[in-house]
Amino acid sequence: MYRYDEFDENLVRQRARQFRGQVERRLSGELPEEHFKPLRLQNGVYLQLHAYMLRVAIPYGQLDGRKLRGLADIADRYDKRYGHFTTRQNIQFNWIRLEDMPEVLDRLADVGMHAIQTSGNCIRNVTSDPFAGAAADEVEDPRPWCEIIRQWSTFHPEFSHLPRKFKIAVSGGGHDRAAIRVHDIGLDLRRNSDGEIGFEVVCGGGLGRTPHVGVTVRDWISKPELLSYLEAIMRVYNRHGRRDNKYKARIKILVNELGEATFRSLVEEEFAAQNEREKVILPLAEVDRIEAYFAPPAFDAAPAASPTLDEARRLNGDLDRWARHNLRSHKAPGYTSILVSLKPLGAAPGDATSDQMRAMADIADRFAGGDIRVAHEQDLVLTHVRLEDVPAVFAALQTAGLATANGGMITDIIACPGLDYCNLANARSISVANSIQAAFSDPDLEDMIGPLHLNISGCINACGHHHVGHIGILGVDKKGEEFYQVLFGGRADERAAIGEIAGPGLKHEDIAPALKRVVQRYLSLRSSPEETFIDALERLGQAPFREALYAAS
Amino acid sequence: MSSERPKLGPDIPKVITGWNSRTGRVIYLTADRDWSESLADASVMTGDQAQEALRFASTDQVRVSDPYFMQVTQDGRISGRETLRETIRAQGPTNHPMFGKQAGDL
Repeated sequence: MYRYDEFDENLVRQRARQFRGQVERRLSGELPEEHFKPLRLQNGVYLQLHAYMLRVAIPYGQLDGRKLRGLADIADRYDKRYGHFTTRQNIQFNWIRLEDMPEVLDRLADVGMHAIQTSGNCIRNVTSDPFAGAAADEVEDPRPWCEIIRQWSTFHPEFSHLPRKFKIAVSGGGHDRAAIRVHDIGLDLRRNSDGEIGFEVVCGGGLGRTPHVGVTVRDWISKPELLSYLEAIMRVYNRHGRRDNKYKARIKILVNELGEATFRSLVEEEFAAQNEREKVILPLAEVDRIEAYFAPPAFDAAPAASPTLDEARRLNGDLDRWARHNLRSHKAPGYTSILVSLKPLGAAPGDATSDQMRAMADIADRFAGGDIRVAHEQDLVLTHVRLEDVPAVFAALQTAGLATANGGMITDIIACPGLDYCNLANARSISVANSIQAAFSDPDLEDMIGPLHLNISGCINACGHHHVGHIGILGVDKKGEEFYQVLFGGRADERAAIGEIAGPGLKHEDIAPALKRVVQRYLSLRSSPEETFIDALERLGQAPFREALYAAS
Repeated sequence: MSSERPKLGPDIPKVITGWNSRTGRVIYLTADRDWSESLADASVMTGDQAQEALRFASTDQVRVSDPYFMQVTQDGRISGRETLRETIRAQGPTNHPMFGKQAGDL
């Protein structure tokens, strides 16, 4: 993985020093909150319901043992011994005192981390496929380009005061596991007709109060031209994006209001107008330097199957079920990637204790070349594990309370912190998630249901990505009472779609029983056990599921 | 995307709440213009007295951030449409009973 050079190190240290001074001025009264707020937000510091919250950047979700241990140490020393992994592949600490923030930023810098551009109207943390570099179906590892975009966008003076925040995701060209079509810009590595690898460029996607699936503005752009093309998009956005109304300021609104064709022609005009001095062409040597950080490990020559693992699965039903749901195919024979669920029943989705972070770091160092990723589904991933080692990894994860066998299943719920923590939320998310988990806690039932993505947001800002869950749930406030709207048919993959609201909101206590009826309806209507929930929904339409949802009303 | 709180009429009993600027903890304005982490210590106000107290709170930036009116009953219990939100602020997250004031974490 990428390691800071002297330039990165200085940049992060300098920023931490600068923020220390700003905090001191705030606490002495020299800086009023009104003036301090934009400064703290630029360093990822929010004031949430109970305390200050610090959002730490995890570029494209990439961690290693050293970084994860560093985060665990911060959780122990300055927070309450846990952290919350987010849908932007970052981590948030919920209880840090402002007076401790400068020290926390120093400690982050010690392990090559920071909180820069995790808030504010700038280009945020670039996200990617958590299986990048390991997935059997990718065209190429997208992480070098995530890193190049990170470096290009960090403190970019022209793009530090955009009309609104801006989110970029990069996928490696296989199945879309990075939700690129619901990002401001989504990039997908692909080959052109000559077999050369470049990018499809998707723009204008997003969730929030006005959800849109992005449109392809360029079928293919070469790697050397990528940054220049991104600059052309950003300039069109900076010039034409609205600044008078923050609810209409995202690029998705601009693309929608101008229309796809007009937006595309503006970008192409801007791109064509760049003179040679303006173009951002990375020297090949620099691309090679960055790519070298992401070189795959030396995989052992191993057979595609492991008799050891097969036998262990035969003898251990828990291992077998976990392996069925949490192992993912790997490009190297004899290897697998492992989705480590952070969704045990009854816990806050995405939370991990400091002990669990250290356990993950140890397991990764011992069995996965130290490589750990954060998934936007709020789970963790061990990318390169030998099939032979899977039983030992499972045992170690079990000991750490990290062996929940629900990867991609209905209890692997994406949920924002909601009203239990968030200052913007209208309703709780975590408790709804827990009630749904309890309703589907029977492993046999969950196995029967198969893959089903369920996403919950506590307000219209959609941090829980409810629009793109196969089933989405949105918390709303109705005269002081929590209600929950249900959406059907969303998806975040290459066939991205925005879910449709089924009807009136339901009370907190009615959500889990209602979803149980919906799932029972799916089980009775599916054409075969192989037909997934989303496939059945797309075949049958919303009507039978809506009818089941409201059956008891 | 709104952290704005509902407007309260002058006759509605209210307290002033905000966040301790140094620690981020939830605090309430007391009758002697100090700040307390306990809602029981808060001064219940209406009318001009409340407006004057909010003006004071807004200038007391070293000690408090983002002060605002919170609706209560005459005897100081949380009420109104933000009851759940303010109860969670006053006590702690409902999913984590081991954290926040509900856990004696003052």
